[in-house]
Amino acid sequence: MSRSDLVSSAPGVDLRKIQRLFGTGGPLVALVVLVAFFSLASSTFFTLGNGSSLLTQLSILLVVAIGLTFVIILGSLDLSIEGVMASSSLVFVLLAANDRNDSDLGFLAVIAGVLTGSLFGLLNGVLHVHLKIPSFMVTLGTGAIGIGIATVLFGGRAPRLMDDSLRDLGFGSLGGIPKLAIIAVIVLTIALLVQRFTRVGRYGYAIGGDEQVMKLSGVNINRYKVLSFVLTGTASGIAGVMAALQLGVGDVTIGGGYLFTAITAVVLGGTALVGGIGGVGRTLVGAAIITVLANGLILIGVNPYVQVAVQGLVIVLAVAVTGWSLRKRVRAIK
Amino acid sequence: MTAQTEPMATRWLGDSSLKDRLIAALPLIVLIALVAVVSAQQPNFLGMSNVRGLLEGLAPILLLAIGQTFVILTGGIDLSFAVVSSLSTVLLALWLPEIGPVAVVLVPLITLGTGLLTGIVVAVAQVPSFIVTLGAMGLWSGVALTLSSASTIRISEGYQAIGWITDMRIAGLPVSALIAIALAVIAAVAFKTLSRGRTLHAMGLAEKALLMSGNSTRMIRIAAFGMCGLFSGLAGLVLASSQYSGGPTLGDTLMLPAIAAVVIGGNAITGGVGGPMKTLVGALIIIVLRVGLSAIGVPAAYEQIVYGAIIVGAVVLTIDRSRLGIVK
Repeated sequence: MSRSDLVSSAPGVDLRKIQRLFGTGGPLVALVVLVAFFSLASSTFFTLGNGSSLLTQLSILLVVAIGLTFVIILGSLDLSIEGVMASSSLVFVLLAANDRNDSDLGFLAVIAGVLTGSLFGLLNGVLHVHLKIPSFMVTLGTGAIGIGIATVLFGGRAPRLMDDSLRDLGFGSLGGIPKLAIIAVIVLTIALLVQRFTRVGRYGYAIGGDEQVMKLSGVNINRYKVLSFVLTGTASGIAGVMAALQLGVGDVTIGGGYLFTAITAVVLGGTALVGGIGGVGRTLVGAAIITVLANGLILIGVNPYVQVAVQGLVIVLAVAVTGWSLRKRVRAIK
Repeated sequence: MTAQTEPMATRWLGDSSLKDRLIAALPLIVLIALVAVVSAQQPNFLGMSNVRGLLEGLAPILLLAIGQTFVILTGGIDLSFAVVSSLSTVLLALWLPEIGPVAVVLVPLITLGTGLLTGIVVAVAQVPSFIVTLGAMGLWSGVALTLSSASTIRISEGYQAIGWITDMRIAGLPVSALIAIALAVIAAVAFKTLSRGRTLHAMGLAEKALLMSGNSTRMIRIAAFGMCGLFSGLAGLVLASSQYSGGPTLGDTLMLPAIAAVVIGGNAITGGVGGPMKTLVGALIIIVLRVGLSAIGVPAAYEQIVYGAIIVGAVVLTIDRSRLGIVK
């Protein structure tokens, strides 16, 4: 530690800061290697067209995974992501100009969609913290409720988004960069700031590291836990709206697959599922790895379903490897 | 029946307050009330053809729920169980034309293996079960999708080997549900009468004590997950038989109702409290609720909301807060 302090006190690029933000070298190196590999293996990978589609694919996953990072740092988990995305996409499309009803709230509909996510997050947090139900169980239930609400709103046919200025957010680009990616960058920036400069962000690490100590220090940990869940829900809400913008419809299955990929992205980036270690910057690297892998494997013709299997293995392996040294003969892990 | 629904674990510890007894009896009261309400709405609800339909729907959910009960009793959870049952329908569809009836034995053995594998990872690597089984969920669903090329495979050649599960009736009732109920009863009797029958409960209540008194908690945990895998495979047999096909997502929608059945029956997810008979009551509640909701005019779209609310609500009622340390 002291040696790296000396190194970082030298003028110029602060290596330690970069490391703290985006994780140690491993994931970054993996990302670079993957990009290099696919550039060689497929002629279409390293092109402008594919670059823009990579950015679009990355943006929604990144927002979901950033949100998820906040609860994973607590050592908790949010399994309701897909249900929340479904609900918020339908709330958003049904309140904006659409082909189902006469509503035309414009940007207010976006806010309503995002707030739907925040509400789910609040519900998750309150149920988890105040009724003391394990978070994965709560969110398993609320995720089903989210899918249910979406199914009720869906009513048999996907409502189409008709607001042209909003649709442009989903399809358009600014100077060659998809607008969805710009939204994702804004979310990332806000998340980085929240994590580094607010109590929710900083206490999150301490709660994940050792909740008991925080409680004994007189911190109202319940409040910060609930707030973390609200952050995750809000991000899922944003992602739901983004997915609706991208597809031009609200749909029950709009979040399908995101839960899995997001958990894998967070874990690959270097945030530990046991809590206390990691950050949204690392999640950016993890999400980029997943996106490059998904895109590249399809370009070189690998069955996409194999990826689901591999992601499952990655989650288990990552947790098993990071926790291997903590194993004890008399430890009871449920 | 009444003897079975008593809270085994609390009686075993020698204290059972009135509140505990009430909560323990609640699922049965809910079931009876539900049946009464729905019968009032639909006089032919308890008619033969209706009951037959109910039981046909009950079989796969009950089998999955019984399997899950073993794991939940130890205080863990297996989120991959429904996906494993989907995988088993795919394997059946692929193998029945090739090896015929052998597949009927082989497939549950393979899912027993997947369960044991999960258990080994949980027990040896000491990773929380919900994370391992979340990963397993992705793994097995990826395998099922790859093997089936993401499409439903119709079973025609070799179907007679599993056809009896759907077609056979005993006293007019579908054999699949009767077998499932019989398995629940057998498991409950085994828990009650075998000398080591309460090991799983003890595991959920006081794992360290069990370990200190010379038991291999590792083996017990692995066995519990193995049972869950085995029952998922059995549920897959019923599903493949009733749908005449194998599909990579065929059983996935049963995950929520099956977990809901376990928790609403009164099995505490903290472990140690519950048993297969509670799960049977829970599965009956879920089935009656499903039919009852549509009978009183609630659209099917609300089903998911109900399952979600049931899972959260039932867990709130049954969770044992005295044994919770830090809840993650």
